[in-house]
Amino acid sequence: MPAPPSAEPAASPFIQIRGLHKSFDSQKVLQGIDLDISRGETLVLVGPSGEGKSVLLKHIIGLLQPDAGSIQFDGTSLCGLSERQLAPLRRRIGYLFQNAALFDSLTVAQNVAFPLIEAGIKNPAEIKSRVQEALEVVELDAHTEKMPINLSGGMRKRVGIARAIVGRPEIILYDEPTAGLDPIVTDVIDHLIKRLQKRYHVTSVVITHDIASVFKIADRIVMLKNGIVYFNGSPDQLRHSPDTFIQDFIAGRSGMTS
Amino acid sequence: MDDSSRGLISTLGRAVLNFINYFGQLGILLGEGFESLVKTKPRLHLMMEQIVRIGFGSQVVVIVTGAFTGAVFTAQSYFKFRDFGIESTVGSIVSVSLFRELGPVLTGLMVAGRVGAAMAAEIGTMKVSEQIDALRAMGVHPVDYLAMPRFFAMTISMPLLIAEAVAFGLGASWFVAVLGFGIPSAWFWMHTIDHTNLEDLSYAMIKGLVFGMLIVVISCHQGLSTTNGAVGVGQSTTRAVVFSSLALLVTNFFLTLLLNYIFPMGTIT
Ligand SMILES: Nc1ncnc2c1ncn2[C@@H]1O[C@H](COP(=O)(O)OP(=O)(O)OP(=O)(O)O)[C@@H](O)[C@H]1O
Ligand SMILES: [Mg+2]
Repeated sequence: MPAPPSAEPAASPFIQIRGLHKSFDSQKVLQGIDLDISRGETLVLVGPSGEGKSVLLKHIIGLLQPDAGSIQFDGTSLCGLSERQLAPLRRRIGYLFQNAALFDSLTVAQNVAFPLIEAGIKNPAEIKSRVQEALEVVELDAHTEKMPINLSGGMRKRVGIARAIVGRPEIILYDEPTAGLDPIVTDVIDHLIKRLQKRYHVTSVVITHDIASVFKIADRIVMLKNGIVYFNGSPDQLRHSPDTFIQDFIAGRSGMTS
Repeated sequence: MDDSSRGLISTLGRAVLNFINYFGQLGILLGEGFESLVKTKPRLHLMMEQIVRIGFGSQVVVIVTGAFTGAVFTAQSYFKFRDFGIESTVGSIVSVSLFRELGPVLTGLMVAGRVGAAMAAEIGTMKVSEQIDALRAMGVHPVDYLAMPRFFAMTISMPLLIAEAVAFGLGASWFVAVLGFGIPSAWFWMHTIDHTNLEDLSYAMIKGLVFGMLIVVISCHQGLSTTNGAVGVGQSTTRAVVFSSLALLVTNFFLTLLLNYIFPMGTIT
C-alpha cells in the first residue's frame, strides 16, 4: 500500500537536521545531531565552550558542509548545493558571527547597508532610513561613519546585529549576541530578539552563555555536549532537569573550591 | 629498496601531487570566474576602485622602471654599437626589446610585487577574519565580489601600464642617446620607427594581458585559500609574489615562442 500523502506540508519543520556529523582532521566535533526548528520559535543553543555550537550554526547557513547527515531548509536540502545555489536561501537568513566579521574596508553604515544593496534595493533614501532604523535599534545611530577598526568590541557586535536584522530575514542566527555587552544593552538585545519574533514572526536561533538571557528569550533550549544534543526542551524542563551536569551548568558550578 | 630512497620517492610523489592539485585549484577558480562572467553583472564601482588602485597607483613604479631600463639599455647598446660604427641605430634595438620583452616582463614583475602582494594580503586578511564567510552568508560569491573586479581592472590596466613603461623607456633612450651621446635626433627616431612595427606592439599587449591574468588568478587564489591567521596571511602574500613572478617568467618564454610562430621576426624590415 502506498504511504498516505504527508498530512500538511506546512507543519514540516522550517529547519530539519538529521544525523549531522562533522570532524576537523581527527577531531570529531558533531557526532549525530538531530534537531528540528519550527517557524517563529526562538531556540537557544547552550553548551560548554568548544563543543561545536558555532560549527552547528554554520551548517544551517551552508558555510560548512557536513561529513554525514542532512540539513533541510524550508524543505530544500542544503547538502551538495553550490555557492550560487545557496545564495537565494542565504538571503532569507540573517547571521551574526561570533566575532561580528564586519567588513573593515566599509564604514558602519555601509556595513549595515550591505545586505540591502545586495537584495537589489536601489533607492538611497530607503537604504538610508532602514540603516538608520537598524542602528537605532542597537543604539548605535550616532556612529554611522566610523570604521569598524575604531569601534569597541561590544559596538562591533551590535553593528553585526544591525547588519543581520536589516534585511528583515525570516530566520536570524545569532552567535553570542550579548557576549561582551553591558547588562543594560544585553537587555535591549534580548528584547529586540523577542520583538522581532512577535512583530514579524522571525525565527531565531541564539547561541549564548548568558543563563539569564536564556530564560528571558527561549521558547526552547537545546544543549550540545559531546557532539550530540544532550538536552532539548522548554525552559521549565531545563530548570527542573534532574541531570547534575545541567544543574551545574545553569548555576555555574565547576565543583572547585579555592 | 632502502628506507631513504623510499622516503625520497614518497616526497617527490607528494610534491608532484601538490603541484597538480595547485593547478586544479587555479582551474576551479578560473571556472568560477567564468561562471561569474556569464551569470552575474560586473560590479562597476568595485572595478573602478581597483583600476584606481592597480592602474593609477602603479604609475610611479612603472614609469621609473621603464625609464631607467630604457636609459641603461641605451647606454650599454651604445658602448657596443660604437665599436661597429652603428651607434645611431641604437634606438631600434632598444625599442624592439622594450616592446617585446623588457616592457611587459619588468612591468609584470613590478605589478606582481606591488599589486599581487596587496591582493593576497587583503583577501587573505578577509579570509582569516571571517569576512569572506560573512560575504557568503549574505549570498555574495567571493569571486564575484573580490576576484572579478580585480580581474577586470588588471586586464584594463596592464596593457596601459606596459604602454606607459615602453613610452618612458623610449623617452629615456632618446634622452641618453641624443642629449647624452650626441646622436642626431632625426636619425635616432628614423631607426627606431623603421624597426618597430605592429607586431612588436602586439607582443607587448598580448603579454601584458596574459601576465595580468596570471597575477590576478594566482594572487586571488592565495588570498582566498589563506588559513592560519596572521602567519598565514604573510605566507600567502609571499607566495602570491613568488608564484606569480615565476609563472610570469616561465610563461614569457613559451609565449615568446608561440608569438614568434604567429608573428615571425625578420620577415618584415
Ligand atoms: N575551521 C575549523 N577548523 C578546525 N577546527 C575547527 C574549525 N572550526 C571549529 N573547529 C573546532 O571545532 C570545535 C567546536 O568549535 P565551535 O566554534 O563550534 O565551539 P563553540 O561551541 O561555538 O564554542 P564557544 O562557546 O567557545 O564559542 C572547537 O574545538 C574548534 O577547535
Ligand atoms: Mg562559538
